[in-house]
Amino acid sequence: MDFLYNLLPHLVNGIALGLLFALIALGFMLIIGVMEVINLAHGSLFALGAYIALVIITPEGGLAMPFLENWFGIAIVPRYVAALILAPFVVAFVGMGLEFCLRRTYGKDPLYGLLLTFGAALVIEEAIRVIWGHGEYVLPIPKEIRGGFIHADLIWSTYRVYAAIFSIAMIGLLWLFIEKTPYGAIIKAGAHDSEMVRALGINLPKLRTLVFGFGTALAAIAGIIMAPIWGIRPQVGVDAVVPAFVVIVLGGIGSFWGAVIAGLMVGMVVGLTAAFFSDWSLLSMYLLLLAVVTFRARGLLGKASALEN
Amino acid sequence: MTNKFKAKISRRDLIKTTALTAAGATLAPFMGPWKYNRVWAADKPILIGLTHDASGQFANSGQAEKRGTIMAIDEANANGGVLGRKIEYIWADTETTPATGSRVAERLITRDEVAFMVGAIQSGVANAISQVCQKYGCVYFNTNSSSPTESGKNCHRVKFVWDGSGANFARAAASGAVTKFGKNWILLTNDYVWGHNTSKATQEILESLGGSVADNILVPVGTRDYSSILLKLQQAKPDVVATAVGGDDYKALRQQVQELQLDTKMAWLSNQLDWPDIYGAGAEAAFGVFAATWYHYLDLPGVDDFVKRYQERWPDTRMNVPGNVTYNGYVAMRELLRAIEEAGTTNNIKVIKTLEGRVMKADDRMQHHDAWIDENSHHVQQTIYLATRQDQPRDDSDYFKILQTMDPKEVANPGESACNLESYDDTPTYEM
Repeated sequence: MDFLYNLLPHLVNGIALGLLFALIALGFMLIIGVMEVINLAHGSLFALGAYIALVIITPEGGLAMPFLENWFGIAIVPRYVAALILAPFVVAFVGMGLEFCLRRTYGKDPLYGLLLTFGAALVIEEAIRVIWGHGEYVLPIPKEIRGGFIHADLIWSTYRVYAAIFSIAMIGLLWLFIEKTPYGAIIKAGAHDSEMVRALGINLPKLRTLVFGFGTALAAIAGIIMAPIWGIRPQVGVDAVVPAFVVIVLGGIGSFWGAVIAGLMVGMVVGLTAAFFSDWSLLSMYLLLLAVVTFRARGLLGKASALEN
Repeated sequence: MTNKFKAKISRRDLIKTTALTAAGATLAPFMGPWKYNRVWAADKPILIGLTHDASGQFANSGQAEKRGTIMAIDEANANGGVLGRKIEYIWADTETTPATGSRVAERLITRDEVAFMVGAIQSGVANAISQVCQKYGCVYFNTNSSSPTESGKNCHRVKFVWDGSGANFARAAASGAVTKFGKNWILLTNDYVWGHNTSKATQEILESLGGSVADNILVPVGTRDYSSILLKLQQAKPDVVATAVGGDDYKALRQQVQELQLDTKMAWLSNQLDWPDIYGAGAEAAFGVFAATWYHYLDLPGVDDFVKRYQERWPDTRMNVPGNVTYNGYVAMRELLRAIEEAGTTNNIKVIKTLEGRVMKADDRMQHHDAWIDENSHHVQQTIYLATRQDQPRDDSDYFKILQTMDPKEVANPGESACNLESYDDTPTYEM
């Protein structure tokens, strides 16, 4: 009984962690699912989102912008909300620029796209170092989502609860967008039969640009949400891209619900191993991947992809 | 026969041969004999290889250290160099990766022909570099990596270790914590050489004081989420949580501990708190009790001037005051250059002998007690400061409140007897 009592908080924590992993993987999933491009710059764009949010929220954000003096005088809540909206837009533009560079790789070996995005990841990370330096930044957040609360004799993080709820909301909104709107239908159609979409008069290059921008905006949102937990430093993107990749492969490339389920599984496995066999905590997600891929090569809910050709 | 000979020496050949002979005679004094080459070599700059991380877990600390070593080089050059030679440096990113450390060291020695090598944050990297340096005989200064093994079983004749070790810090912090907080401890250990050896030293000291370790939680390098571990700590309710977690892993831990306000709910003992790991996070982030080798608000001669010189040299750096990592880089490089000058040569064995047993005055080092280089372990024995969060900060950079100043003798690590330095004969001669 004691064991179960001790286990329960870790199960709850695992679910919360899993939702964060799913959030990190959403943008990655969208781009790989719709465009069949493995965007290795996902982590760097995740980091860029956090840095831009930092600049919007605080004058200590590493860039001197005296013209924003009045802006920093207002309460932190509107600044934080503005960062959650504006930073993804800025990153989306960077993502769209990256997609422009990617165009020449379409229809070719996926390795070309992978190499290009890998190069872009290095460039973005180095640019962050040049602009913001090597140091650590802390993203200020409103006091309403700071601190902890006591439940069942344990202190829980208010921010984690907020981040988990935010993740559920993002997953829901993205699902609604893809499944229930005409734009989502066009995006899905573009992924499955691009010739037909083009024949219907839809501008496919523009569609791809927008999807890539949307995917990178999601990376930025994840970066902002994770910043108060992981901190902000130039190499923080590496911490994001690896689990994102694991989640996508585990869930099945291009599968929305596969990514969500895989995120939850990874969170649960990492959370439980960290609690009971902590030295295995990072390895556990790879072992999980290995176990699943051994029996289901395309991941949990994966289908045949152009990447297999 | 005569005609044939005549045909071979034309007038043009004669002029060419004469011209070449004349040119050779004119240039000969500049090309040789050997003693002239030696004169030329003395004017050649002394090239020092800097091995500071710019990426990976300790990127920020690596760059802080680099600022210190470069400052010392600049100051030496402003005073006329060393042995009348200018000091130059070549820097390579060791990427917080031992394999990169080995590769970089090999390249700096064989291709760039550096005379000495300086720099390390992570113990695995320092160990890798020092193995290569020992193979060639190149004197190497481990400036900031503090695993007890660096001056214990992984010591080398060419290597000198400048930071206090985890064992020194544990000695400084543990006894007070047992008395004040209790004997039931949990260790958080970064799962690599420094973490293991530091926690081992902490455990030995704790047990010698009658305490016990309830659990040793291993933290894999690269851990970003501590929620499970923090829940487990709350369930276990230890008297003290002693951490040997460094770099980005420590930053994430600190942030999440603060997020849950656990810093006020249990006693935290951090083995050492490197300035780059805390700078920018505010004084409130410096929770618990921790050790340090230097602080920019020490009330000692030379400290203010050093801070001022740092700010003048690095006006654009965000870290606008130097911390222990920069300090270690600076004093290590300064002492190396002084030792070369005193040895009168860059010959490795002579420089090593100059350094072994060397005493460095407290005033000169901006610490409270004299320091010395242990001749058996090559480890700098120095003052250790116990500190905690500053509750009345003088300014934005004032994070630490110094609780206690520990004499090097009080915190000396008997485990350094495991060090078995290679003999001079087994160390290749190296001179550039």
